[in-house]
Amino acid sequence: MSVRIPGQLLARTGRRNTVQVEGGTIRDVIAALDRDYPGLGFNICHETGELRPFVNIFLEKEDVRWLQGLDTPVHPGATVHIFHSVAGGA
Amino acid sequence: MTTSRYAPGTVVALLGTKRGLFVLSSEDRKNWNIDQHTMQGAVVYNAKLDERTGRMYATDNNVFFGSKLMLSDDEGTTWREPRKGIQFSEESGRKLTNIWLIEPGREDEPETLYVGVDPASLWVSRDCGETWQLEEGLENHPTRERWNPGNGGLCLHSIVPDHSNKDRMWIGISAVGCMRTDDGGKTWVHANKNTRQDFGPEIYPEYGQCIHRLVQHPTEPDVLYQQNHCGVYMSENGGDDWEDIRTNLPGDFGFPMALDRNNPETLFTVNLDPEGRYNYGDQFTVYRTKDAGKEWEPTTSGLPSGAGVKLGVLRHGMCADALDPAGVYVGTNTGQFFVSPDAGDSWDLVADFLPPINSVTVSVVR
Repeated sequence: MSVRIPGQLLARTGRRNTVQVEGGTIRDVIAALDRDYPGLGFNICHETGELRPFVNIFLEKEDVRWLQGLDTPVHPGATVHIFHSVAGGA
Repeated sequence: MTTSRYAPGTVVALLGTKRGLFVLSSEDRKNWNIDQHTMQGAVVYNAKLDERTGRMYATDNNVFFGSKLMLSDDEGTTWREPRKGIQFSEESGRKLTNIWLIEPGREDEPETLYVGVDPASLWVSRDCGETWQLEEGLENHPTRERWNPGNGGLCLHSIVPDHSNKDRMWIGISAVGCMRTDDGGKTWVHANKNTRQDFGPEIYPEYGQCIHRLVQHPTEPDVLYQQNHCGVYMSENGGDDWEDIRTNLPGDFGFPMALDRNNPETLFTVNLDPEGRYNYGDQFTVYRTKDAGKEWEPTTSGLPSGAGVKLGVLRHGMCADALDPAGVYVGTNTGQFFVSPDAGDSWDLVADFLPPINSVTVSVVR
């Protein structure tokens, strides 16, 4: 599947804004990202494994927080998008 | 390390700001160049140019994607992460919130550095910042469950490795207070006797004080000074107890403190209105004592005044160099950078319109 990487994390992926990984759930996808691009997992999740509060992951057009969170199943060929929250005013 | 771009004796100032790191330099402390704005977009709480090795360190506290320590071997042009950075284990249940402070170790251990973070934890590197380990002694302190954060979080913001004793070190945590180890970090004791806590039911608790900045006398290792949320204090016995040295300062509150290494009874603080957290009245003032707090005097020559002057300085927003006369450096939370090349007698506005300044550190290139 394809994972779209936000601009602030492109240093992790060698400036590639789309990368390919495999995984059955969003949690698996994050683990695969961290395996291929060490440190990327820490940027997405706390040490405790929770999704960081200002990181938003979309499976296609759906925010996974409104699906099954990190346990959301991901089908082959899907596109996963990683964004950070909008941050006006700070 | 690459060859330094700076001549020996050059003073290099690192300004950690809300939007990146500024690198300034001067050969006479009067004429300054802004050499770089690097790590643009990063929230930099603290940065250090380690005079012992020439390596530069900075904290990148990203609100979205987490905090990390960064290293530079070309004086800030390019940056990279350590081989093993600062992260808690999953089993610890802790989450790294912010990296607050980078403190080089003692002069005779040039590969050692310490880092303080929120949640209050102490990290050490023995290889010039390449790999980092958590100091477990503090982690397992029996009072830890009762520690409460200050407004800036439960931050370990001051680290003072005793220059006379490798087993002794002090740390400052808001709002826990001063702590000391006498056994190289295996165990820690609270060291807050006679420092006030005006925001709780007990005025002089064992711990829970809101220390803001801690510094050590360079030649009398038992002498410490601290700017606290509730006063200014000196200890003459390594923190066993403290004496209030606020004396004639207009108020208790302030964040930073700096010391003149060649005249170590000369201290600097920026007394602030505790509500607005900016200067009292209409005159921005750095206060100086030349007798370890028996009397404080305002230094204002070259500092701004007027109805609209409301400047604040954060806990790492002021420092002094080791030259004689001492240079004193102040960065404000409204983006001004002031330098005094004569230990506070006069001040120059070196830079304005910067992002809010979190920290100022200076090094003299060897």
